[in-house]
Amino acid sequence: MRRDWPDIWGGLVLAALGAAALGWTLVHYDLGSLRRMGPGFFPATLGALLAVLGLVVALPAWRRTGASVPVHPLAALAVLASVVIFGLGLSRLGLVAATALSVLIATLPAPFAGWGWRIALTVIVPALTVVIFSFGLQMTLPLWPRLP
Amino acid sequence: MTIDLTRRAAISCALALTALPVSAQETWPTEPLRVFVGFPAGSSPDVLARIITDPLAERLGQPVVVENRPGAGGVIGVQQMLASAGNGHTFGTTINGPLTTAQRMLESTGYDVAEDIAPVTLIATSPLVLAVSSDAEMTDLESFVAAAGAEEEALAYGSVGQGSGAHLTAELFSDEAGVSMLHIPFTSYAEVTTSIMGGEIDAGFMAPSAALPFVESGNMRMLGITSAEPFPQAPDVPVIAGQAGLPDDFRAELWNAFMAPGDTDPAVIDRLNTEITQILEDPEVQQKLLAIGWQAAPGTPAEMEERIATDTQMWGAVIDRVEAQ
Amino acid sequence: MTTWEGLLYGIGFALQPGILIYCVLGVVLGSFVGVLPGIGAMAAISLLLPVTYYITAEAALIMLAGVYYGAQYGGAVASILMRLPGTPQSAVTALDGYPMARSGRAGVALFAAMASSFAGSILGIAVLVLLAGWLTRAATAFGAADYAAMMILGLVAASTIGTERVAKSFAMVTLGLLLGCVGTDVNSGVQRFTFGQTELLDGINLVALAMGLFGVAEVIGNVRDPDRQAVAERIGLRAMMPGRDDVRRMGWPTLRGGALGSFFGALPGTGSTLSSFLSYAMERRVAKRPERFGHGAVEGVAGPESANNAAAITAFVPTLTLGIPGDPIMALMLGALVIHGIQPGPLMLEARPEMFWGLVASFGIGNLLLLILNLPLIGIWVAILRIPFRWLYPAILVFVCLGVYSVRGLTFDIVAVAVIGLAGYLLALARFSPALLLLGFVLGPLIETNLRRALLISRGDPMVFLERPIAVGFVLASAALLIASLWQAFRRHTGPDRPRTT
Repeated sequence: MRRDWPDIWGGLVLAALGAAALGWTLVHYDLGSLRRMGPGFFPATLGALLAVLGLVVALPAWRRTGASVPVHPLAALAVLASVVIFGLGLSRLGLVAATALSVLIATLPAPFAGWGWRIALTVIVPALTVVIFSFGLQMTLPLWPRLP
Repeated sequence: MTIDLTRRAAISCALALTALPVSAQETWPTEPLRVFVGFPAGSSPDVLARIITDPLAERLGQPVVVENRPGAGGVIGVQQMLASAGNGHTFGTTINGPLTTAQRMLESTGYDVAEDIAPVTLIATSPLVLAVSSDAEMTDLESFVAAAGAEEEALAYGSVGQGSGAHLTAELFSDEAGVSMLHIPFTSYAEVTTSIMGGEIDAGFMAPSAALPFVESGNMRMLGITSAEPFPQAPDVPVIAGQAGLPDDFRAELWNAFMAPGDTDPAVIDRLNTEITQILEDPEVQQKLLAIGWQAAPGTPAEMEERIATDTQMWGAVIDRVEAQ
Repeated sequence: MTTWEGLLYGIGFALQPGILIYCVLGVVLGSFVGVLPGIGAMAAISLLLPVTYYITAEAALIMLAGVYYGAQYGGAVASILMRLPGTPQSAVTALDGYPMARSGRAGVALFAAMASSFAGSILGIAVLVLLAGWLTRAATAFGAADYAAMMILGLVAASTIGTERVAKSFAMVTLGLLLGCVGTDVNSGVQRFTFGQTELLDGINLVALAMGLFGVAEVIGNVRDPDRQAVAERIGLRAMMPGRDDVRRMGWPTLRGGALGSFFGALPGTGSTLSSFLSYAMERRVAKRPERFGHGAVEGVAGPESANNAAAITAFVPTLTLGIPGDPIMALMLGALVIHGIQPGPLMLEARPEMFWGLVASFGIGNLLLLILNLPLIGIWVAILRIPFRWLYPAILVFVCLGVYSVRGLTFDIVAVAVIGLAGYLLALARFSPALLLLGFVLGPLIETNLRRALLISRGDPMVFLERPIAVGFVLASAALLIASLWQAFRRHTGPDRPRTT
């Protein structure tokens, strides 16, 4: 039997998160009293609740069949890397270079061969970005790499 | 956040080299100035900064760009100023919190006020007013202190957050008056006002500009002001000092100041101080500041440094007492 | 001035060329900027603020207000076409709007959003004009206990909107509530779950959360899918126009949503978010076939869009009558008045009636302009869907990053988008509803602070929730709803398993 793995894993991860939040709260924050609820009261309650709900999601799923879910680790890696690189690069590389780099990385996992469209995008998107955000919206963004 | 020593040394070397032919004072500014403000566009500290930066740009002959980096009660603005520093054209304005109480309230601010911040000048100060609902039986400071002293936590007051000027002022007041009030933190004066008008809480220390419209409409009453002199915007409100058993030197003021990163060329600081002080002497500028609740208070960098030191100590003592409770 | 005289006066005032031009400018800019992912009214208004120095206070307010409600129209476009909601309200619109677009009915979805937005605004204007006094009293009568009880009701009512099992819906709301705890605790000043990061002191950036959970997660899920592109969509007036069936379905939801939005919008806080979710939950509850929701039910677009636009209008009630801004955007607009030396407060309306009536009239004119402007644009927006996805998504990613950056200028938030995007992708794989997470995130801090504040004010007496008439009503309603939905879940659980669908 193919079990309902998404619900099992999802439920367990949430339960673990809830338990972690509960533990961290109990160690670090004061629960207080009813009159003066401390900063720990809410997160502790919510952590416990999430732990229970996670189990309620996960356990029945064990006895149930579920559909398989296609996972794309490469796509996720490239997209997230593109976002991170844009974030880290913006202030140092400037808008143009950060955008170009980020676009190039984002296009890597797309299932289309050839470099033509990729290179075209690394030119078009930075140009669009500069026009819309820097000139149009007047956001103060460094355009070019900052020399040390 | 703190720039490591080698990089800082390299930067100052580079600056020194480029500045060799003519003194920095003559050539500066060579590019647009960036002024970081730790509050969102349209907020009182932002409007205040723009009142200063517009004439400043005219005087320096370079654009002055206000960069809003709101968050953490203004601390983010200071951090971002320091992170962008190094070219001699990055500055900031800030309220008193990030330079006085933030080090005590936050786990880590990532900067050391004495090391990393070079004072330029105070821009303006603002007292706080003690406001109550107009339905309240308390009509003056005497009756307020009497009502508050009737029993522990007889009155509840609102503030704009734990450790905010409004909170610490109220605690200082309670301590000096020998009473104990219940603190209810809110996030804005608008919420405090609504709560006072709805009769949920009894009082609040508020910025005069936040309280005045509701006093004029007959919803609220002001019992006292925390400055040494009556405030021009509300001349009828008596000063708290010396009344109802409070000491004659009772004083609590918020301020707004212009600052530079710690390694800024002293000549540049002098130049900025001169320009801003002159701007603040313009009656039109003073009027604009008053309209948003601030009273111009120009001074020397040394005076600002002094103010940071005394306020840090004064509010630190209040925080000690609050934490001990 | 009677209401009628006031309205006529206001229309005359708002139609002056010197005022009308700023109204047009505001709504056009708002609706274009709103389309950009993550750049909402807040960023656009901050941007325009310096311009307002040079025009009159009335023109400034009318222009900024135009940006504010104009951005709501634009936000709906991004949510429907690309699943890129920048606000929780438009996340609700995406719930059914995006599935509609995927099944080739983008034109109909956009039309439904525009038409119901317009209808909701008009309803909001009517409520604003006729009931402003009553709503003002309601806004001041609400105490901390009442707010807490109301938010809990909203949370319970809206928790049922998920298409999956009840436990999964509740788990997402709880996770949202927990994430809402991140940052400085208002009541104690303690920094919770910040791990020494100053950037987290004010909590997780809402726009980063919405963009990560929806936009970035959606992009990841589609990159490897070679067929993901042009949904074959006929372009032309006929394809854009909804059929008779669609129109019939839109009527009541629009009215109900508008009524909900008009009421909740006037309460300072998150009226707009709450009413969108409530409207969606309500439509699902009254629908004959609730299982259509989440798969492209036009009611799920019309109701919430009407609600959030009505709320955007009535949010001006406390702002104008008391000078008390209900949200940061309203605070920003009042800031613009302060720049002009106008001190917002209870007397502002008496002192400047032209401002109130001019603004009210400009709402009507502005919304009409938005409708006229946006209907022809539907064709262009739909045409974007014919561009292959691979040409679009790199730009989407960069735009998302800049949209998030525009909120407060911190690159920390961009990196946060990546982390949240990963979480969002995993949640999407396991079919958890990100909209519910967002709801919990927005309402959580309000529930917590108001609950704790109420108990502080009552000096620790929990009876405060049963003594105040407003609070007790909400508490009873929440209890009834909670029991009903648990009962339903129990019956469903013991009954035959429902077929699972996407």
